[in-house]
Amino acid sequence: MREVSRDRIKAFLTLLPSIVLIGIFVYGFIGNTIWISLTDWGGVGALAEDPQISYIGFQNYVDLFTGFLEGRFRQDLVNAVYYSVLLLAGAVGLGMFIAILLDRKPMGEDFLRTIFLYPMSLSFIVSGTIWRWLLAPQGGVNILPTYAGMEPLSFQWLASKESVLLFNWQNLLGIILYIAAFILIIVGLLGLKRDPNRAMKRWILPGVIIGAIVWLFGDLLPQAMIMEEMHGLNLATLGIILATVWQYSGYTMALYLAGFNGISQDLRHAAMLDGASEWDYYRRIAIPMLKPITISAVIILSHISLKMFDLIFAMTGPDNAETGHPALNMYLTTFRANDFAKGAAIAIVLFMVAAMFIIPYLISSYRQQKGE
Amino acid sequence: MAKVELKSVVKRFGDVRVVHGIDLEIADNEFIVLVGPSGCGKSTILRMVAGLESISDGEIYIGDRCVNEVDPKSRNVAMVFQNYALYPHMTVHDNMGFSLDMAKRPQKEINEKVRKAASMLELEPYLDRKPEALSGGQRQRVAMGRAIVRQPDVFLFDEPLSNLDAQLRTQMRMELKKLHMKFSTTTIYVTHDQIEAMTLADRIVILKDGLIQQVGTPVEVYEKPANVFVAQFIGNPPMNILEGTVARDQGRLGVRTKRSFFPLQEDRKNLWEGQKVLFGLRPDAIKIGDSLNRIPPEWRCTAQVELTEILGGQSLLDLVVDDEISLIAEVEGRVQMQAGSSVEVGFCFDRVVLFDPETEEALSSVAQLEGTAEGTTPERDIAHKKEIEVHTN
Repeated sequence: MREVSRDRIKAFLTLLPSIVLIGIFVYGFIGNTIWISLTDWGGVGALAEDPQISYIGFQNYVDLFTGFLEGRFRQDLVNAVYYSVLLLAGAVGLGMFIAILLDRKPMGEDFLRTIFLYPMSLSFIVSGTIWRWLLAPQGGVNILPTYAGMEPLSFQWLASKESVLLFNWQNLLGIILYIAAFILIIVGLLGLKRDPNRAMKRWILPGVIIGAIVWLFGDLLPQAMIMEEMHGLNLATLGIILATVWQYSGYTMALYLAGFNGISQDLRHAAMLDGASEWDYYRRIAIPMLKPITISAVIILSHISLKMFDLIFAMTGPDNAETGHPALNMYLTTFRANDFAKGAAIAIVLFMVAAMFIIPYLISSYRQQKGE
Repeated sequence: MAKVELKSVVKRFGDVRVVHGIDLEIADNEFIVLVGPSGCGKSTILRMVAGLESISDGEIYIGDRCVNEVDPKSRNVAMVFQNYALYPHMTVHDNMGFSLDMAKRPQKEINEKVRKAASMLELEPYLDRKPEALSGGQRQRVAMGRAIVRQPDVFLFDEPLSNLDAQLRTQMRMELKKLHMKFSTTTIYVTHDQIEAMTLADRIVILKDGLIQQVGTPVEVYEKPANVFVAQFIGNPPMNILEGTVARDQGRLGVRTKRSFFPLQEDRKNLWEGQKVLFGLRPDAIKIGDSLNRIPPEWRCTAQVELTEILGGQSLLDLVVDDEISLIAEVEGRVQMQAGSSVEVGFCFDRVVLFDPETEEALSSVAQLEGTAEGTTPERDIAHKKEIEVHTN
């Protein structure tokens, strides 16, 4: 018993410096940022030696989400969501596809692997600059067809004013509920085979009910704003998504390739003897087995996309509204407009969105550890 | 159900030949065990039958179909791997039903067949578990269940018991045998464990360096090994191999060692006086004590005991004959003897096997052993030349 407590004291003392430092510099500063976001620090006297700061509650957040003047932030947030989703689909999908090709051990596999991983080693400023040139309106990608004797493309990769998948921000609440219903139904359908009863009761039925209620009585839901405000996927962000996918698919490829290599050849052979084709093997055996890798890749990439700053800065500069991102907006609001409180609020919103990704992951991995 | 035929099958990895032209015919419903030391090519042969390795030369037939160019999935063979190769993310039920699922069988049929196999293997309580929540023996059963559910033409086993502890191995060995009796499916079983080979096989194929050394029933390969390698590989402890010279004493042909002479049971034309030979005696062909009564006096001699090991029901004796020849005897009962003490031993010389010291191949047999299994081919030379006759029970 005494041995144990001495060990514990030693362990505690060893960890103490890092606990203190992390406590101050990570959690303390998060707390400080939350506090600032609840004040009115900003405006003319913001940089005064002793600025007048008063507590205003959640007013900054209310302004950000429903305020008349913060339409740009809302579009940035929408951009970040589309950007994350498309980056995940692109980088995970492409990375997995290349990994499957390389897993079949073609000639020069080592060489190809290095080539695909190489973009990872570039800084975002460098790759951003390269892609800005490649996606220039009258050069790079757009003039590729002329080599085949065709007309050049005229798509404005980084400056297009077009927007698709538009929705009205007024209906924010309804949209969130639709998404919730959709997720419930999807989870239920995935679990249908294992336990139909539970899947029906817990997931599908509530999903259908929520969806039906919103569809029937959506007009009764309170509106987020007094006037219509349309947001959607800005096509100008496609260029940035393309560059990020290019930079990160090599990384996901490396993750998947390591995973595929870790699967015993016997499993592939067993699957072949069980009548599985190559496609079946990857779909039914290899990719489901690499679920932890997929989850890691999704977590890592969603963080990167939510915090993306330098690539967009390099490709379109901070002021191009079409390709805006909350992280850039936070920088501009805080350090150019000196609106520290609102900048802090944006930072906290980003923090919360990131937490939405990471907390379920931490809970599930904690549960798994406990279950073992 | 199908017979399997290998015709001059060769496997090369680059410039290295690992299987040197194997001819083997496996009858329908037969249980064949391929046995040999590591690197003898036994697993490679199995994988060629499964289609997991290409065939460099020669032909493999399953039923009447040459399968050289046939995909593994179209060969209708099921394989149990050494590490079981269960799909870790699937439940036992899904593991066992995967092949039927791939064959697009209706869910109802899959459930039915999986349940049937599971009840036979006593796996019913575990159907919803994942492999990681099973013990080694249970995983082994799931792997077998996965093979059974498919009702394949041929079962292939690649050292399936080597990851189990000794007790479980014995138990699973018996269950395997029972399963084979129940399903009567052609089975090819690879192992390096000669006990598994002896207990399970209808016929044993002993391999070394990619060549068949002998094919025969367990009793045949035990009592009439084709060469010194087989003699020492099969049986534990291995056969005693001693040096001697063919001689004639009082009109009888026999083998002379330094000081003793052991007459052979019958005259043999292929031996001549003065010929150097190796002669092999199984440890259980050496008797002491009461069992000596059945041994004629001319097959007896005196030996010094070096060491006794009691195994439980039997004892192993390390003996020295003629001051220089070491041999091991396996005798019934618990025998406790002082090291260095003398004991009279008798050799069952009717069971002796003579080998050519140059080639280490057996010189044709001394006598037909009583109780040799019916239907085996008496001409050992056939096995020897790797031309195998179909064994029909």
